[in-house]
Amino acid sequence: MIRRPTLLIVLAAIATMISAAHAHHVGSYVPRDNPVSANFKQIKFSVQAGKFDVARRLFDEGALRREMQKQAPTLPPGLEASIRGALDARDARTAEAGLMIFFAALVRGLALEADRQLADATAPAAARVAGGGKMLEAIWRYYNLVDFAVSQRDPTAATAVRLAFEEAEGYVKAPTPSPERMRPPLVRIARVLAGVIEASSPSARRDS
Amino acid sequence: MTEPRWRLPPIPVLLVGVVLIACAELGGGAMAQFKLELARWARGTMLARPHVHGLVGVRDVDEQILDEALVKLDGGLRLFHLHAEGMGTIIIVTAMVAASLVDRSALRRTIVALITVGGAVYPLGYLLWSGLIPFHGIARGKRLAEWLVWIPFGSAAILAMWLLAAALAAQCIRSVAGRSRVAP
Repeated sequence: MIRRPTLLIVLAAIATMISAAHAHHVGSYVPRDNPVSANFKQIKFSVQAGKFDVARRLFDEGALRREMQKQAPTLPPGLEASIRGALDARDARTAEAGLMIFFAALVRGLALEADRQLADATAPAAARVAGGGKMLEAIWRYYNLVDFAVSQRDPTAATAVRLAFEEAEGYVKAPTPSPERMRPPLVRIARVLAGVIEASSPSARRDS
Repeated sequence: MTEPRWRLPPIPVLLVGVVLIACAELGGGAMAQFKLELARWARGTMLARPHVHGLVGVRDVDEQILDEALVKLDGGLRLFHLHAEGMGTIIIVTAMVAASLVDRSALRRTIVALITVGGAVYPLGYLLWSGLIPFHGIARGKRLAEWLVWIPFGSAAILAMWLLAAALAAQCIRSVAGRSRVAP
């Protein structure tokens, strides 16, 4: 018969081995910039360094402008021309505002699409919430780029977006998936950003 | 004439170690050579299974999901390359130490068998994981690789090392105790 201490040692050894074998590492993933966000950073840093000719070239040849042209129907009219004009005029503030509007519009589009997918009752609730979580990650990746610019122009809107984002994120992490509860904060993000776009768009600036 | 101190492990064990190192080199080379084709195949396979990967049909979201899966797939292949190289060497060295220094033949055979089987199959878990990612996703692929390969064969390799360490420690203690009894 096996003695109790021996048995305990064997059990402890087996438990340690399984946990050690379970603890193998498989690497970690750090989300990378996509061509649009990478191009935005290049333009932003060039503007900050006062290299407007470089910023203009990066804007003309980069992925951001191509995406802007693709998204043209959802953007305020004259946005591209306004950014180009600001870069030519070495007007960092207006250029930054134009880029902020573009990303705010991207985020607004993502928030509305997330809301639409969350409302689709044909998909399982857990899958809808998981998809909503992925959409939130994408929303944050874009919003994070212009959060500072938004908060400088409209601190209330920036706070409202961040609070709504955190609320929606909380529902993603909740033990029971409830897609319906995720929808209001997403709609709020879209509505607040629509206001920011409206207030900062080139036509609004001309009118003020 | 004195008996040589170091003994070669059994030839099949040596062969397993050498073949594993060769597979590691081959895997590393193939990974670099066919990087683009592999990425294209994996991307196509994942796009054909949107529900498995949680693709939502929005480019800004899906590109990140696909990118993460491709990075993990590449990471799995790299880890296979690294672990196969390392475990090949470990099999040869551990089996040689056991063959030379462990007195009890049953224990010696157990250690050699465990390190050979465990050490040879464990790295294949990374290859399996990489292959499963496009079909089952990162997390489910990892769970499968864990329960099919990493846990059973990794445990076998760890058990072999523990047994070897314990056997050598016991022999060391016995030898010290024997010397102190002989000493006046």
